[in-house]
Amino acid sequence: MILTSVVLATFAAVTLWWTMHAWRTPETLAATRFAEPDGDHRLTFSLLLPARHEQAVLEHTIQRLLRSTHQGYEIIVIVGHDDPDTAAVAHRAAENAPGRVLVVTDHNEVKNKPRALNTALPYVRGDVVGVFDAEDQVHPHLLEHVDHAFRSTGADVVQGGVQLINFHSSWYSLHNCLEYFFWFRSRLHLHARKGFIPLGGNTVFVRTDVLRTANGWDGTCLAEDCDLGVRLSSRGAKVVVAYEASLVTREETPDSIGSLLKQRTRWNQGFLQVLRKGEWRRLPTFGQRLLARYTLVGPFLQAFSGVAIPIGVAAAIFADLPIGIALATFVPVVPMAANIVFQTVGLRDFGQQYNLKIKPIHYARLILGAFPYALVLSVAALRAVWREYTGRRNWELTAHVGAHLTSSNANAEVGAA
Amino acid sequence: MTTTSEPKTTALIPKARGNAVETQPTRALVPDRDQQPSWVRRRELSGGEGLLAGGLTALVLVLLTVNITGFPMASDDEGTYYAQAWAVATGKGLAHYTYWYDHPPLAWIQLAALSWIPDVFGVGGPAVTAGRVAMIPVVAASLLMVYLICRRLGMGIRTSAIGLLIFGLSPLTITMYREIYLDSFAVAWMLGALALVLSPRRNLWHYTAAGAATAVAVLSKETMLVTLPAVCVALWQNAARSSTRPWAVGGYLSGLVLVGMFYPLYALLRGELFPGPGHVSLIGAWQFQLANRSGTGSVFQAGSGSYDLIQSWLFYDPVILIAGLLATVPALFVRRLRPPAVAAVILVLVAVRPGGYLPAMYVVQILPFFAIVAAGMIDVIARAVPNRQRWWRPALATVAVLLAVMLIGPRWVAGNHRSLTADDNAGYTAAAEYLRTSVPDRAGTTVVVDDVLWLDCVQAGFPEDQVIWFYKLDLDPAVQARLPNGWRDVDYLVSTPALRQDPSSLPLVTALLTNSTLEASFGPADGRIEIRRINKETPSS
Repeated sequence: MILTSVVLATFAAVTLWWTMHAWRTPETLAATRFAEPDGDHRLTFSLLLPARHEQAVLEHTIQRLLRSTHQGYEIIVIVGHDDPDTAAVAHRAAENAPGRVLVVTDHNEVKNKPRALNTALPYVRGDVVGVFDAEDQVHPHLLEHVDHAFRSTGADVVQGGVQLINFHSSWYSLHNCLEYFFWFRSRLHLHARKGFIPLGGNTVFVRTDVLRTANGWDGTCLAEDCDLGVRLSSRGAKVVVAYEASLVTREETPDSIGSLLKQRTRWNQGFLQVLRKGEWRRLPTFGQRLLARYTLVGPFLQAFSGVAIPIGVAAAIFADLPIGIALATFVPVVPMAANIVFQTVGLRDFGQQYNLKIKPIHYARLILGAFPYALVLSVAALRAVWREYTGRRNWELTAHVGAHLTSSNANAEVGAA
Repeated sequence: MTTTSEPKTTALIPKARGNAVETQPTRALVPDRDQQPSWVRRRELSGGEGLLAGGLTALVLVLLTVNITGFPMASDDEGTYYAQAWAVATGKGLAHYTYWYDHPPLAWIQLAALSWIPDVFGVGGPAVTAGRVAMIPVVAASLLMVYLICRRLGMGIRTSAIGLLIFGLSPLTITMYREIYLDSFAVAWMLGALALVLSPRRNLWHYTAAGAATAVAVLSKETMLVTLPAVCVALWQNAARSSTRPWAVGGYLSGLVLVGMFYPLYALLRGELFPGPGHVSLIGAWQFQLANRSGTGSVFQAGSGSYDLIQSWLFYDPVILIAGLLATVPALFVRRLRPPAVAAVILVLVAVRPGGYLPAMYVVQILPFFAIVAAGMIDVIARAVPNRQRWWRPALATVAVLLAVMLIGPRWVAGNHRSLTADDNAGYTAAAEYLRTSVPDRAGTTVVVDDVLWLDCVQAGFPEDQVIWFYKLDLDPAVQARLPNGWRDVDYLVSTPALRQDPSSLPLVTALLTNSTLEASFGPADGRIEIRRINKETPSS
């Protein structure tokens, strides 16, 4: 029991330590931002936009991308051959913006995001490939900043921030938003510094030659973004992460607990697949390999501890344990509670950065929802393990975010992420 | 199998210039040490400074250590804390009697962890005076923290060294910090917390650790809590104009609350948080201490306990007390000196509050803050001196040093001479020796002692439950239950000044004093230690 406590406490403390990376000192915080661009546009971008059953949001997304202030970019929309509605929207957009928008049709029988991206890769002509999702709201100044970041840091990969915004929708969306906030605002920067990074699914920019050398995305992996990051960092690519509240790509949380669960199951299972593929073993230093192993197993440890710690505490209170052991079970609560304190501060910060009004009810949701949310994550983790070992590796559709999305086929076996 | 239905491609990407990506790293991801802001570097210690602070600390420690067992006279409090540490170290629980939440236990838990030090050096004499050796590392930590805090408050190297010396060389420090007081632990941790919140790098984990250190300080001696505002002021000032202030506050609070909660949690898990019949409780102890503890009178009223106590402090060293008091008021108006000044002001106000209880070791908490504030004001004045001529500042400094040596030197030499040579514990040493060698049949003998000699009796072979701390004789029902015939079950009484101090409130002790004959007597008249045998055959009542 004491040993379990020590392990849980260590895990929680390490996670906390890393999660808080960006806020360690004012200087580290300043270093996580984009540098001011110099106004020069040297690079050319090919922005890949896989869309599947997303005719409702696609047009808006393309229009917003077209407002980009950067000079040199093209948008490559990838639609499925069995999805005429979305294709129609895409073609219309291409006609309205000739020379900027290109439509590529994916004829793969089994459709998923990495395969769609690979389909488009041969058509890419820019220096840098950027990936967005069909429902993303991209800031017009983003490309300019990314251009400058590539040139000033000599990076192979630039990961921009992604942020879920609709924290007020439900109790879990609040936690989901904060998870993104801490991940992109803080944790990813640590990974970039240590040279091992699971990339995000969008607002990720890779130099085309590097991406082609790496043979693009893995069409069988459920977390192709993570996999790409692991493969690139294993080959020594330099990754730069930059977060600027005004420039983040805005997204929305899954619309129900069910889709959150499915999405999280897919990510976790993807992490497991990446772990089993073992590309990370090529990382040069032991520390990096350890970080890789730890990160890829992380969701499962987190799920386990999120449930085990409260159970241990309950046992300590009700089971009449010896006083020393009872006190020991409370040790892991310290980093866990500190995490909630920091999340509270984070929620306040989040509200300030995005000009959102945080009300007392939201703080209450944050604190009261912590344990139920940990339960949801645990279920997702267990589900991922179970699916992986029973060999069910298909893409579960994440029913789509976005209140403006009208038709999403929740029963479809395949779907876009 | 992947084709595109579109034969056309996009037009040329405007301004495309091929794949030549120029790479000029203009931005380091995390600033190196050299890139820290200049004021950060100014407040970080260099290697040579470590030697300076270490050397001065060593000097003070020599003064502290020489004759540490001989002066000052061992007090009952020291005995209690050391016996409690012994109970922790030997796994008997948190105290040698029922732990009743009188003080949080962390200080003597730390003392227990340090209690191997006297054994290593083979210090002789009564257990308590030997145990004082374990306090030396604690004092060393406090001394170094004083220097570090001075530097982190933006003071110069010389004035910081002066701060360390004011604190370390004062005869009052040499006297009080030799003794085994919980306050010494609390002070060391609180100074540590202050140094951490003043961290020049403003690192989140330093703030969090500062919160934890504050909690440890308060759990070492609960009265240290009154200096919490000083640390908060320092935290607020140091995190000012930084993008991370809310996080710093969050970190500090997490550390403070999450470590501090373990004490009430301990009580809760033992079912001793709330008062109830048949058991001690944390809240009950607080109620007792807040409501029932009689005051020691006003410090301004001659003859009161507090007045006498202040007089005795002034007797040892008026310099640090008066200089500290004088410096505190202006220091409140100097932004960078405000944290220690706030601590000093609060501690002074608590001491002079009407009708309060002023314990003998209270001054332990004030001394380092007075020293920091006094040195800080010297720093302020030194910087204000105009630098018109090259010789102007050195000349003034020389005059100031000479004046200080002439005025303060003789007092401090005399005070410290006393602590280096006096042998106030000869009586206790002889009494401990007598109990160890001259009392027959120790295993079957019940003896009532003060807490200074309690541990010596236990170690001399008296059974633990037959060595009775005189307070418990009248106040602890569990002890009275072991003595069915009252005072007649006691064989020996060791009468010491502490035991004779307040006889009216302890009837059983008084009965023992009147029904006993003197067997041996040690020490000078005012600090007499008597071994008295109880006259069981001729009851007088």
